[in-house]
Amino acid sequence: MTGRARPVISENRRWELLLLTILVVTVIFNVMQSTNYLGINNFINLFELSVEKIIVAVVMAFVIVCGEIDLSVASIMGVGACVVAVLHDSTSVPFTLAILIAVGVGGLAGLLQGWCSATLGVPSLVVTLAGLIGFRGLARILVEDRSIGDFPEWFDSLGQSGVIGPLPFSVIVFFVAILFGGVVLGRTGLGRRAYVIGDNAEMARYSGIDVVGYKIRLFAVSGAVAAFAGVLFAARLGSVRGDVASGFELDIITMVLLGGVSIFGGTGSMLGVFTSILIVLNLRNGLGLANVEANTQTGIIGVILIASVVLRNAFARFDTSSLDTQAPPHHEPAVTNHDLTTANP
Amino acid sequence: MTTMSMSRLGPDRLKELTLAATIFLSLVVFGLLIEGYFSGRFFNRVTLGVAIVAVVAAGQSLVILTRNIDLSVGSIVGVSAYVTGQQLGNHPEANVVVAIALAIAIGAILGLINGLLVAVARIPSIIVTLGTLAIYRTVLIAYGDAKTITADTLPSWLVNLPKSTLFSIGDYDLRFMFALAIGVVIALQIAFGRLRVGRRLYALGSNPDAAHQAGLSINRLTVLAFVGCGALAGLGGFLFLARFGTITVTAGQGLELQAIAAAVVGGVSTLGGAGTLVGSLFGALLIEVLNQSLVRLPALSEFWRDAVLGLLILIAVILDAVLARRFNPGRPRILAGTSAPGREPGSAQAITETGGTATGGAATGGAP
Amino acid sequence: MYIHVRTHTNVHGLTTTGDLAVTIRTPTDAGLVQPVLSLRGVTKRFGATTALSSVGIDLLAGEVHTLVGENGAGKSTLIKVITGLHQPDEGEILVDGSPTQLSSTSDAQSLGIAAIYQEPMIFPELSVAENIFISHQNRGRIVNWRRMYADAGEILASLDMAINPRIPASQLTVGGQQAVEIAKAISLDVRVLIMDEPTASLSAHEVERLFEQVARLRERGVAVLFISHRLDEVFRISDRITVFRDGQHISTLPVDDVTQEQLVRDMVGRDVDEFFGRQQTPSSEEPSEPKPAAAALKVEGLSVNGAFEDVTFELRAGEILGFAGLVGAGRTDIALALFGITPADRGSIEVFGNEASIHKPADALGHGIAYLSEDRRQLGLSMPQSIIANITLPSLARYRSRSGLLRTAEERAVAERFRQQLQIKAASLDTPVGNLSGGNQQKTMLAKWLNTEPRILILDEPTRGIDVGAKADVHHHIDELARQGMAVILISSDLPEVMAMSDRIAVMREGRLVGIHDSASIDSETIMRAAVAA
Repeated sequence: MTGRARPVISENRRWELLLLTILVVTVIFNVMQSTNYLGINNFINLFELSVEKIIVAVVMAFVIVCGEIDLSVASIMGVGACVVAVLHDSTSVPFTLAILIAVGVGGLAGLLQGWCSATLGVPSLVVTLAGLIGFRGLARILVEDRSIGDFPEWFDSLGQSGVIGPLPFSVIVFFVAILFGGVVLGRTGLGRRAYVIGDNAEMARYSGIDVVGYKIRLFAVSGAVAAFAGVLFAARLGSVRGDVASGFELDIITMVLLGGVSIFGGTGSMLGVFTSILIVLNLRNGLGLANVEANTQTGIIGVILIASVVLRNAFARFDTSSLDTQAPPHHEPAVTNHDLTTANP
Repeated sequence: MTTMSMSRLGPDRLKELTLAATIFLSLVVFGLLIEGYFSGRFFNRVTLGVAIVAVVAAGQSLVILTRNIDLSVGSIVGVSAYVTGQQLGNHPEANVVVAIALAIAIGAILGLINGLLVAVARIPSIIVTLGTLAIYRTVLIAYGDAKTITADTLPSWLVNLPKSTLFSIGDYDLRFMFALAIGVVIALQIAFGRLRVGRRLYALGSNPDAAHQAGLSINRLTVLAFVGCGALAGLGGFLFLARFGTITVTAGQGLELQAIAAAVVGGVSTLGGAGTLVGSLFGALLIEVLNQSLVRLPALSEFWRDAVLGLLILIAVILDAVLARRFNPGRPRILAGTSAPGREPGSAQAITETGGTATGGAATGGAP
Repeated sequence: MYIHVRTHTNVHGLTTTGDLAVTIRTPTDAGLVQPVLSLRGVTKRFGATTALSSVGIDLLAGEVHTLVGENGAGKSTLIKVITGLHQPDEGEILVDGSPTQLSSTSDAQSLGIAAIYQEPMIFPELSVAENIFISHQNRGRIVNWRRMYADAGEILASLDMAINPRIPASQLTVGGQQAVEIAKAISLDVRVLIMDEPTASLSAHEVERLFEQVARLRERGVAVLFISHRLDEVFRISDRITVFRDGQHISTLPVDDVTQEQLVRDMVGRDVDEFFGRQQTPSSEEPSEPKPAAAALKVEGLSVNGAFEDVTFELRAGEILGFAGLVGAGRTDIALALFGITPADRGSIEVFGNEASIHKPADALGHGIAYLSEDRRQLGLSMPQSIIANITLPSLARYRSRSGLLRTAEERAVAERFRQQLQIKAASLDTPVGNLSGGNQQKTMLAKWLNTEPRILILDEPTRGIDVGAKADVHHHIDELARQGMAVILISSDLPEVMAMSDRIAVMREGRLVGIHDSASIDSETIMRAAVAA
């Protein structure tokens, strides 16, 4: 899951260790908060409430390792949910086909963004910011101010009841997604290419890698998976409105960055993302049990996001203190916001 | 050569002219499509609406110029509007200058926090401001305790401010708020063209490595950009308070998107170092004109707004990318293929051959 | 040795010297003259490594002092110490004889110390004039545009540079941008100017222009610290030459008292032939060897708009075809077209008798063409990735098992084979290539492309910026490959290298192939003339 022939292993390892420590601390905190915490229902609840974000986070890890970012995922989730809802509500399209169409629309949306970013060289931050606004608009156009529900029973139960024993669909999806993502990122050529592209896209192109194609496909996958996640979300909610899943991008990106994936691309592992997801879920859950308001929870997540990078920078400085004289590692210049500047470093 | 005629005008001026022409053209088109389009009411609505976004977008432009981004401006507007409103409620004797100063100070402090985190703690601005977007809002909610500030607690001069007019031509009023916003943006633009510090901000965005080499204080400039952005967002908060009177803890939510949109549509390059504040003002104007006009087209519902806005940003950034590639012949040709036009510090730029002899030697010029 | 005592007047931060300079002739004894800048016993450590070990150097006004040494000798660290980026752990820095702390770049700048690098540090969007004056503290807080343009024009004119101060710097070539940096240094009233491999990216013509500027700086009494790997340049331009090796000062001698052989010996600590020198073995000498039926590569009428025009040549298996010419003559552009980075607009490419249409690097790799880029940091290697990951990168598909996973054991075995074959020195195959020395990086890059099992190998400046010992190694391997039947294109700005290594030499000028010669029957002057003659 963590890839072997990769650099900065020690740094990544130390980061993962730190995350594990934090995780243990949050678990202890939660146990002290409430006796309910250790119950199996609460455990399942933990995943159920966030499975949509988690599967999007797995793809987001690839996007960020590649040195890009996709801010539009939450809006595309909304589009996915709304497409299904509208097709179900106002046409006679079979429901499974509606889901497929929704995923297809999401894929197309991602494809469009990927194309703009990769072929035209517009930073993905800006393109997907346009997507964040535009696709939310699309969701609103589809649903307007209605709330559409009344889905088939099996669909609703997808998000609500157990599939294998007490384990609900969402928990299974979570583990499958993380495991699959981890193997692909750490052990396959696809993953290796993501790291290289994230480190230096131009060099990747000079090595015969189809960088443009890779990124376009990655954004398309990101869109399709986001739309699918939106559909899952609709199943859990049982009804859909135009603003469904809005604002989710903050949590999703936090999960990935907290997991040790560098915003500059080129480093990170799925094990880190896995641990950080557990931390975020635990925190939300624990804070919820402690009756902390959702909005305050978001603020705390924000603090953690910033703190995680401060810590990581401190780690990196530690590493470079013994640097090689002739090949000093690239210091990040004081100001760069690589998302704005580097579609390609 | 097209590049030569370009350089006489400057890409920034050209962008401003293009935008002005686009605004004019869309006015003409809508004028033909919509009956009674050019009413005083429409003019006043657009100018009032644009005032807030224009100020916040100008601040955003400062930050984008330095290759950063500030996603927290919406929350800053909210905090500034809320706190200023509350203080005015408690101290109704305060005058307009004190109120504006307070709003700006609140914004500047929040911007300072962003700037320090970016410059001193060396965290990418997108992460910092994604975090403070949530944090500032949370702090506001905790502070405000979910109470709403209503117009009846505010001094009457403030409530009447949106209506106060400098002068009118027929139905067309030049509102104080609009004049204030435009005045601030234009004054800043002039200052930035003439002040050393302004040019250094451009230099920083143009090439951070070279700025460091040249001994510019990068940290100070970065912090300055964020403080400026925060201060302008604070001013935006004051305008927000004046315009709406009723302020909930969610005030200003989503404004960051409009501000970034205005800056980007206004031609501020997301690659840093290029673009103007007046450009962002035009960007805000164009967006507001479209917003206010599209809803009056019978074929479209108000739900189309976001979709159109997204599309507009997309078109603007694509145009910017295409233009940047065309008008930067000094950049290596081979990099133009995939990437954002070879802008990375210490890029391959110097090493790759600059494609052919057409450009070679011409610049050093006058050689035998 | 000429020492210039300057009396200068300062007008708008613009120094005028020239006629005012009084020239005094002194014996070449540095001890008698106060150096502008001296380092005494400077030591700099990074963790366990000692980058500089008690080194000393004196820079005199009006001298060009060249610093040479292999990569890792401590040159870059010395520059960083002088420009205030690093502070020494021990030792002292004397400016005009008095001990000085340089704790930041602006400290160094205020004392008149500036540096120019291989890649110009310019602001592409800003005008030439702004680039010159951006860091001036004494021009007030308010920009007077008219005066700034006028002053910039004046400085540029005083340096005989025909550059419009109003155009954005992005419109200049690399040479033009460097000229702007020199103008900037002059405007800052520079007393010590460090030039770190400034010629590496310049065409021969631009190098001449640069040397004229350096001569002017010397006349103005500036102390120039010049760093270059090109020994012919070093001998042309220097007054004194200092050699560093492994962070230690080895020697400082006036240029007339040192020979090239001695210099190389000082640099590597042993005798080395600078060039491996390929034994010329054209097929005629060994008739027993079967001749390949078709040419390995046949290029006809190849053109890329704005880069090169109508290029036609043939390359046989087992042959090394050298490409000589100035930077910008289109040599790299031909390589990029053959490798599919910038596909050709017109013309045909035939590989072993088959028409090849190459639109992207993958196409070229499919035809067995590999291209080793001239820029190993930016385009050649992924610095944070391991040696293994870099070597297998272009041929990753080969290591994919049926399940889709990478066969990492096999990757490691392949990398190990190359490590032994090419003598790559590294702690482990998992070491990030960014931690390797230049020479070992170059070898890793060579391994990366050899692992694609190319039939045609294009080498673009394969020995740029690597030390003399590694250079000989690389030459040896190239020769070996050709012997094994690989068709090799060798692009190099190092003319002696092209001469020594190639079977035939193609000369490029201004985007055209002006002739192909047997290397045995042509001398370097003829090639140079063909490359520059109008």
